[in-house]
Amino acid sequence: MLRFFLTAAALVAPFSAAAAETVRFIACPIYRDADSGKKSGCWLSDDPATGTRYDVSLSPHKPDWNYAVMVEGTVSAVPSTPCGGTVLDAVRTSRLYDTPCTRHMLPAEGFPGRRFVLPKRNITPSSVARPVPPGPYAERVFPVYFEFDNDFLVYQYSDYLIEQASNWINAAHPKKLIVTGFAATQPEVISGRAMAEPADLAAQRAETIAETLRRLMPGIPIETAADTSGSETADKDADGLPDQSRRRVEIRALF
Amino acid sequence: MRKISLMVAGVAGAAVFGQLSAAAPERWWAPGEGRVFPASLDYANEHGTLRVLVDGGPMATKGHPFFEPLGANGRACVTCHQPSDAMSLSAASAARRWTETQGKDPLFAAIDGANCPSLPQDKRESHSLLIERGLFRIQLPWPVKQWNGKPVTPDFTIEVMRDPNGCNSGPNYGPGAGNISVYRRARPVANMKYLLAVGFPFDPKQGFALPRDPDDGSMMSGNIMGDNRAGNLRIQMEDAAHGHLQFAKGLNAKQIARIRDFEMRVYTAQQVSKQAGALDSMGAEGGPMKLKNSQPGALGSIGIPVWSEFAKWEKISPDDAKTLTPEQLAFRQSVARGARVFRDKMFLITDTAGINSRIGFGNPVRNSCVFCHNMSQMGNDVAPGQVDLGTTTMPFADPWRDLPLFRVTCLKAPHPHYGRVIYTMDPGFAMTTGRCADVGKITLQSMRGLAARAPYFSNGLAKDLRGIVDYYDRRYNIGYTEQEKQDLTNMMSAL
Ligand code: HEC
Ligand code: HEC
Repeated sequence: MLRFFLTAAALVAPFSAAAAETVRFIACPIYRDADSGKKSGCWLSDDPATGTRYDVSLSPHKPDWNYAVMVEGTVSAVPSTPCGGTVLDAVRTSRLYDTPCTRHMLPAEGFPGRRFVLPKRNITPSSVARPVPPGPYAERVFPVYFEFDNDFLVYQYSDYLIEQASNWINAAHPKKLIVTGFAATQPEVISGRAMAEPADLAAQRAETIAETLRRLMPGIPIETAADTSGSETADKDADGLPDQSRRRVEIRALF
Repeated sequence: MRKISLMVAGVAGAAVFGQLSAAAPERWWAPGEGRVFPASLDYANEHGTLRVLVDGGPMATKGHPFFEPLGANGRACVTCHQPSDAMSLSAASAARRWTETQGKDPLFAAIDGANCPSLPQDKRESHSLLIERGLFRIQLPWPVKQWNGKPVTPDFTIEVMRDPNGCNSGPNYGPGAGNISVYRRARPVANMKYLLAVGFPFDPKQGFALPRDPDDGSMMSGNIMGDNRAGNLRIQMEDAAHGHLQFAKGLNAKQIARIRDFEMRVYTAQQVSKQAGALDSMGAEGGPMKLKNSQPGALGSIGIPVWSEFAKWEKISPDDAKTLTPEQLAFRQSVARGARVFRDKMFLITDTAGINSRIGFGNPVRNSCVFCHNMSQMGNDVAPGQVDLGTTTMPFADPWRDLPLFRVTCLKAPHPHYGRVIYTMDPGFAMTTGRCADVGKITLQSMRGLAARAPYFSNGLAKDLRGIVDYYDRRYNIGYTEQEKQDLTNMMSAL
């Protein structure tokens, strides 16, 4: 059931981005102690502008109940049965560690939460042989995405994208890689706060990903660059969220 | 008679032991005895019998660098990594050794077998941490200079709040003198292929691909040493030879190869349970043979569930049951339930760096013991296992008066769960990375041979197996029933 929605969302994301309603706000998260086994608890957050309670549980990086989150998401039409909030899918909840919140936990109140399913972007164990990715082996760009204001590799999202990239690069043997970090440095007002990423984050993201690529593919020549323009893309792996697409690194393979 | 001989040996040196060992197979392995390590060796403990296997054994230990006293203090690796103690060292063995040798055993060498070298070495209380909790002093350089071969500047300061042993202040000790001392349990040197296995190419807790081994270029598992300050066995043993053995010359290539060879061949696990009988009977797959024959590094949640070794005991047939005593049957069923509790009983994991930050599982996240202890057969973490359970850090740790207390102040971002100022008895992984976000993180150990090596956790916080369960129950407010606690405890006694 859940898997169906995730897959469907991913397929339509690039086209529906314009049509679907997207929201962006800052608020404290609320944890609902629903229990359908491991990782099944619910994350909720209320948009201060409208008072709508959203279910933000599908974010690849979930909230910390001691800190505010910046929510970015696409309003989904699926029923609010799992957690008791309008479901955002796709959604991102960036943890704002400079903004404390009072921890709040709601009881399950009859909501079941969601039984855990392995996200579609997950890495197979090293012991399993990877299929050789098909060509053509020509100049190509692989994006990798981040949470707001940091360069941390997002588990079961960015690591997967990098792994896909490195499998292709290993097969394609490009002459070198140019790793460009992007940061969304133009302030935008969200829930009354001017939010912008620091300029040096672009270079930091590039360096972080370059280090990981050096470890994955020792010996391959890597150059790094930084871009603070915060340009958007329509890449499908940004899940139709323009703001997610601005917080990225591009790995460009040159031949 | 035995006591006297051992005392003589302690004074006169290793040669005497050679003669002794011919008489009776000793529980205690003294350096340089020259025993032959049999292919399979059993030792009794309070929960039953531990078995130690040497793959391709028997193995002569005469002249073997793991067993010979290489350095100035008369110790060998085996001094602190004893076969009877699952290749670790229990506090009970240390206490027995003190009594048997009146403190003359090289185990109690001032360098790290005492609370501090500056204390009077002939007094029992100067070695209380080793005798009562099995703790060795680990002196770590401060400030941290390098990690993964790269220079680092720590993003925190350290001040000493409490120095009950004198090894964190004065002209030679403490941050002002370029070091801090923490106290840790010896980790078991067995089943190493599991601890070195790489399941996935990333460290999701640090947010990077795994670092490469400087010697052979392979990816490093990140699962050895409490603070992962050694990434591979070579670096670890050089550190041990220099630190624990006071071997000034340093290991040569041949010695390194021989130690490594032994470390990769030795397996251990509980083989017989006092209450349940043979742990590999009626379809159960306990004991070390299974470990020797299995592929390491598999994630239990997508393959062989962790502790499914005891799955067959969930449904013991009436015919089989008739061959057991009621006590044996009940204990077997309890062990099988314990494995289920370990995997299936959920609780909220909170404020645990490595799990609740920076990785995005959320704080809190609902999960079970197996979330962190996730490797099939071994129960360590498939990913590098640096997690802050709170065992060494306030307010979650017990307030041991005999351990030092440090005040860590984060200079950049505050710690997500502790804030800017952290009180800790052992900063753990932060002493390797130089990052305040890593304070209190300790690498998960393997979970085999637990019955033979109390007390538990890196600082000996849990005095017995029940103490482990009780710690988790209060740390995460789990609310285990008495039955669940007993089942978990019984299951762990069978590993
Ligand atoms: C004085 C006691 C002592 C001696 C002697 C000693 N060790 Fe250890 N060993 C320890 C302690 C304590 C630890 C845990 C250190 C930590 O976590 O920081 C340890 C950890 C280890 C580990 C890591 C195991 C794991 O799973 O993380 C290995 C491997 C090891 N020792 C091998 C050796 C070798 C090889 C020698 C001989 C060259 C040796 N040890 C000598 C006390 C000792
Ligand atoms: C959040 C991650 C996490 C969870 C959940 C967890 N552990 Fe642990 N476990 C650790 C860490 C980290 C250590 C090492 C801590 C130390 O040595 O100070 C550890 C160590 C242990 C040890 C090894 C002790 C030793 O000295 O060798 C045992 C046994 C253990 N845990 C049992 C359990 C049980 C039982 C549960 C469920 C009640 C559990 N763990 C849940 C992270 C976890």
